[in-house]
Amino acid sequence: MNEQIFWIILKRLRVPFLVILVTFSISILGLILIPGLDDTGKVYHMTFFDAFYFVSYMASTIGFGEAPYTFTYPQRMWVSAMIYITVIGWFYGIGTIVAIVQDDALKKAINRNKFAKQVAGLGKKFFIILGYNSVTKSIINRINNDDYRVVVLDRDESKVDELILEDFYPHVPVYVGEATKQQMLKMAGIHHKNCAGVISLFGNDTKNTQIATICKLLNKKVKVIVKASSKQHLEHFKSMDLKHIQNPFDIISKRIFYSITAPHIWLLEMWMYGHSLKLRKRDMFPRGKYIICGYGRMGHAIEYGLKKANIEYELYTIDSKEYSKVKKTTIFGDNEDKQKLLDLGVEDAVCIIAATKDDLLNLTILNKAKSLNKNIFTVARENSLEDLNIFQAAKINKIYILEQILADSTYNHLSKPLAEIFIKEVRKKDEDWAKVMVGMLNNMTGLNPSYFETIIDEEHMYALSLELEKGTHVSLAKLRRSRENRAEILHIVYLILKRDGEIYLMPDNHTQLKIGDELLIVANDENREDFEYITNNIYELKYILDIDNSNVFLDT
Amino acid sequence: MNMHKIVSGFFFIFAMTINFGFFYGDPTIIVEHSAFELFAAIVINLVATVLKLGDKTQLGAVLLATSLVADIQLVASATIWALAEYVFGGLNPESTTAIVSLAGGALLANIVSVILFISDTAKSKR
Repeated sequence: MNEQIFWIILKRLRVPFLVILVTFSISILGLILIPGLDDTGKVYHMTFFDAFYFVSYMASTIGFGEAPYTFTYPQRMWVSAMIYITVIGWFYGIGTIVAIVQDDALKKAINRNKFAKQVAGLGKKFFIILGYNSVTKSIINRINNDDYRVVVLDRDESKVDELILEDFYPHVPVYVGEATKQQMLKMAGIHHKNCAGVISLFGNDTKNTQIATICKLLNKKVKVIVKASSKQHLEHFKSMDLKHIQNPFDIISKRIFYSITAPHIWLLEMWMYGHSLKLRKRDMFPRGKYIICGYGRMGHAIEYGLKKANIEYELYTIDSKEYSKVKKTTIFGDNEDKQKLLDLGVEDAVCIIAATKDDLLNLTILNKAKSLNKNIFTVARENSLEDLNIFQAAKINKIYILEQILADSTYNHLSKPLAEIFIKEVRKKDEDWAKVMVGMLNNMTGLNPSYFETIIDEEHMYALSLELEKGTHVSLAKLRRSRENRAEILHIVYLILKRDGEIYLMPDNHTQLKIGDELLIVANDENREDFEYITNNIYELKYILDIDNSNVFLDT
Repeated sequence: MNMHKIVSGFFFIFAMTINFGFFYGDPTIIVEHSAFELFAAIVINLVATVLKLGDKTQLGAVLLATSLVADIQLVASATIWALAEYVFGGLNPESTTAIVSLAGGALLANIVSVILFISDTAKSKR
């Protein structure tokens, strides 16, 4: 298709070229044939070079004057006729050529070629992200680094321009194209050997379904990460054997359930998403009567979570669209609304959740509720990230930002697979276990520990993998030694060990390590550095492992 | 019969014949080679090249390539003539031979082009 455009463009150049060629040659020929007079009055014939020189600057309207000698009248007559022919021909020809070169179709073809070349040249694993918006932008910001690259398709040209202005590094190839077209997906590299997955987080479930189906048909091996917000689509994806379904409402439902019934499990989960590992009072959902305003997808999800947690609740079905239609405003709080809140029992409720699709409506509902009941715990749904500042200023206890949740969970899924496994495993445990766990982590690694994922191979743990290849037995406990003094332990905690698809939560300290084991480790930055030093440096590792005959060193 | 075929065939063959007309003669004697003929050869060759633009078949691409070779050789020949005349103080046997032999090269390219064109025509059933 690209080639075709190129040929069509060339074909369109024929006429302008011919026009220039013919007008030039006629006027050159005329100038040579018409006799002139030189400065001594002798008859003079212009040479081909003289004529070519003169016509070149005449036609392009540069006009240096008559050369090499002043023209005679017959010459001037010929030239005045030729000026009109050649100049018009020149402008027509050059104008057409410039127009053709700037042709949209040609530009598109060139952009397309460039995009295809950039995709083909990606040497790292990459994800194809369909649609560019604040969610995918935040994902790109986090995964577009040394490990992964990103390719973006969006059908909206202004979005593409926005991405280009963002100037991501490493460069993100982007192209204007409809994501549901298989040709576009092919061009974006779905068949490329480095294509790790396709991310489709459109608001429209049907579109996501369509894309997921096409992707699975085009390349079975590719991971498809897709958003589903309704039950039937969820079922459909499951039947398609898609394992990576992002449903923000489901996440919210689970979070509410856990934060009421098992706050420490909730805390561990939130910690995996960057929350600090400390349960603050203001994070705790109170027990008592809840009011849910808005009974859409989010309202349903919250209801489900509350029901599971055995919490009493009142439903207020308020639809943002209908509300603004009837009241001609999205500011909640006239007398009728106030009465409605009082009827729902706002005065003795402990928590109110505003879950409509309209950010302003949510804000005003909570404000009104707060004025009626000072101590009420307020929870808001925030639909777009742009309103974040207003929400923060409104002192709302808890804000669920759908876009943020979606971006976070997708990011964790892509680049912290063990963290995701950890969350799943933790949910199987009970609150007591989680409480002990949090206490232990706080004791071992401080109040705000971070975690990292690593794998035992030559790239990540050079010294250790050499040692393991030799057949040395290294257990988890043996590695957990300070490199300053091996008699002391290093303050790290092994959370997850993954081996051949088997998951070990809190692996036994005597577990012998093998090459290929994946580990999720909790540590602060300093201890993490130490751990990496030990596993990568042969001498450090030797020092740590030789603890049994330690006196050799201590004597000196 | 197809008007475009007639026109392009005319120019392809004309380019070759006029090129031959300039090339024919003693390569060391410039008066046997007319400057007008070289001018005509250049113009006709350029026209032939333009007519070959935009043909996306395999044959079209080869034809365009041969035509570009002929153009470059003829323009080089004219450039040497102008240089010898105005910059190096007149033609000598060396520059004359260069002018004519460059045109000879262009003639070869033109012959190839015409052979390709004719063989393609002969191949077609109608």
